[in-house]
Amino acid sequence: MSQIEKKGEAAPSTLFTVSSSPHIKHEDDTRTIMLDVIIALLPALIYAVYNFGFRVLTLVFLAVGASILFEGAYQMLMKQSVVVSDISAAVTGMLIAFNMPVTAPLWLPVIGAFFAIVIVKQLFGGIGKNFLNPALAARVFMLSWAKEMTTFVEPGIKPSATAISVITSDSVSAATPLATLKIGHIPNLSIKEMLVGDHAGSIGEISALLLALGGCYLLVRKIITWHIPVSYIGTVALLTFVFSKNPLPYDYMSYQILSGGLFLGAIFMATDYSTSPLTGKGKLIFGVGCGLLTVLIRYFGAYNEGVAFSILIMNLLVFYIDKITKPRIFGSSTGIHGSAKRGKTNSPKKV
Amino acid sequence: MALSFIGGLHIRGRKDARRSEIEKMPSPSVVTIPLSLNSEPAVSVGDAVLRGQLIGFAGGGRSYPTHSSVSGTVTAIKEKTTPNGEAEKYIVIQSDGLDAISPDVQPQTKRISEMTTDEMIDIIFRAGIVGMGGGGYPTAQKVRAALGKATRLIINGIECEPYLTSNHRVMLENSAAIINGTKILMKVLGIRQGEIAIADNKLDAANALERLAAGSELIKIRIFKTKYPQGAERQIINALTGKEIHVDKYPHDAGFVVFNVETCVAVYNAFAHGMPLIERVITVSGDCIKEPKNVMVPIGTSYAALIDFCGGFSKKPKRIICGGPMMGVTQWDLQTSVTKTTTGVLAFSEEMESRYNNPPVCIRCGRCIRVCPMHLMPNYIAMFTVRGDYINADKHGALSCIECGSCAYICPGQVPLVANIRTAKTRILQKRKAGRKSDGMSDGNAVQ
Repeated sequence: MSQIEKKGEAAPSTLFTVSSSPHIKHEDDTRTIMLDVIIALLPALIYAVYNFGFRVLTLVFLAVGASILFEGAYQMLMKQSVVVSDISAAVTGMLIAFNMPVTAPLWLPVIGAFFAIVIVKQLFGGIGKNFLNPALAARVFMLSWAKEMTTFVEPGIKPSATAISVITSDSVSAATPLATLKIGHIPNLSIKEMLVGDHAGSIGEISALLLALGGCYLLVRKIITWHIPVSYIGTVALLTFVFSKNPLPYDYMSYQILSGGLFLGAIFMATDYSTSPLTGKGKLIFGVGCGLLTVLIRYFGAYNEGVAFSILIMNLLVFYIDKITKPRIFGSSTGIHGSAKRGKTNSPKKV
Repeated sequence: MALSFIGGLHIRGRKDARRSEIEKMPSPSVVTIPLSLNSEPAVSVGDAVLRGQLIGFAGGGRSYPTHSSVSGTVTAIKEKTTPNGEAEKYIVIQSDGLDAISPDVQPQTKRISEMTTDEMIDIIFRAGIVGMGGGGYPTAQKVRAALGKATRLIINGIECEPYLTSNHRVMLENSAAIINGTKILMKVLGIRQGEIAIADNKLDAANALERLAAGSELIKIRIFKTKYPQGAERQIINALTGKEIHVDKYPHDAGFVVFNVETCVAVYNAFAHGMPLIERVITVSGDCIKEPKNVMVPIGTSYAALIDFCGGFSKKPKRIICGGPMMGVTQWDLQTSVTKTTTGVLAFSEEMESRYNNPPVCIRCGRCIRVCPMHLMPNYIAMFTVRGDYINADKHGALSCIECGSCAYICPGQVPLVANIRTAKTRILQKRKAGRKSDGMSDGNAVQ
């Protein structure tokens, strides 16, 4: 032992960074994910501009700008690090605009953005912590301005891009397909028109085809999984087919799933990370729940629209769904560690 | 179809050194050889030693004998930290450049078929062989623990860590030693068939081994899907049989025993040449290394000498990693020496850092859960750890974590998930050791 020198070598001149493993990172970060969502929303946006004119861009620009501004201002005010560069606020802003009719007054998206970003998102801790989908909560809040939120125009009618308000006292809303479906009639539109989006409705919800295209992009980029969109739309399809209000159940089902905000909701809103379950099983339960509530509201509710409310209701259950769908830990019989019954090998997969 | 398991992820291989043949590094002027835990030096300062000579006696527990990797003179016996940060005794030997081999290194005189199991295990023990995939568990002890329990022998050539190519090259260039080493291990353990596990990004190695094993019922080559962390023992067994081994249990409890391919070669060398474990193949790579290579390195070589042998740095490195990029340990200087468990030495520049500068935050994308090979919810464990709630971290399976790094690698919010889970594990184990009641467990010292 006496031969052992105590450590105490001269400190080397260059020291390297010492950090915890892993030492490499996947290239995706929050910003690239949000950017992918924005890219996926673009086809529907371009089609909306084609259909409803440049007022669409004005509304989107206001909603996105206000969202980013409110987020940055709140974080500065609260002396937090300003993280608007994750561009999650821009996605929220886009979805707020997508959820309003093109006739909405220009102050409405700003109010929506304030409610979504400050009240729903930041007051509950910011990204990843909010328990309601900010854009949907804002949509429901904005329904307080009922006329402004429900005055739809026929496609091809392009309201002024700059007028603060385009609604007059004698404005009449064009009937959306959902209003017709509610009373059990098939809308006077072809399936092709429904798919492409040649009908009245909110800015971003009309083209099921282009929304699905965006959804495919998100699936390919692995931003979302198939569970929620498939189980959600599937449940609506099944229920409207089985409990059709029309003698032609197949047609009735087709128009139901292509109407309203179902595609926008199922692909872009119900899949919001913060407010949807984490596991595949949980996502399936969540999607089925959303589908069930959507049909109930569409059939029996006061509103024609069911998507926003049903997703918000399911948002509230996410924590519990996570809890009951905890994955079974490798080598253990349950999701709770250490509960593997030692010595027993009755389960074929477990040792 | 290639075998696989649920979870895990594909990571870009960046196996830059895969085509460079193993180069034998000449003995450096000085080697600093670590002794195993609890060992005592077998030499004194000033002693002349030869290559392969015993320089450290095994003590109790998990210790094993240590041998000189060069011939020369012992200049110091000192204490210094291992790559993992533990204090250890090291023997410093000044090489005379002759590499004269010790007369103790002699081929076995007895035929294997005439040896008893104890004799065979003793040969493995005296050669100082440990798990060379990075585990470092003494092979003789592993064999003894598996005796009579294990019915299937798996030789692990998966090498799922990016950048690392040493196992790949060993399988290509030293196939015969692997086949023979496998047969020796089969004989020692009394197992009738050995299985060599190879990922499908190394089909050339699989073919090389297949050719040698052709027609033999004794050795089977199993092809696995290239996925991280397929090389983990439990994931290999799961992919092969569907069995899940609880983290508290060992593979031999389920009838398996797994050895790394290079361990297998070391076993062969011990039997065929009587050569103890004094050198190993290491991948030197990373964006700062001028010539990424696979090098046969004498144990005790300093990283500085090893990197010089690979042409030095092409640009200023920020991090030096012992092992692979997913599970390796960063070193603060180049004085660290190569040990029996060093699989790779990587040098990364600043450019390898994440470009995303926002503070870490979980956005609940669920990717960590999808990739976790142990089917945990890493985000929840990390969240409980940050709160100091180790009871819930334990309930969510923190102790089942194998620290493979998949979750932290994939996390878009840049949350240091593995670091947090490690904190939780340490606290939970401390707590269990202390055997106190479940209060006072929180202290909130976790990495944010």
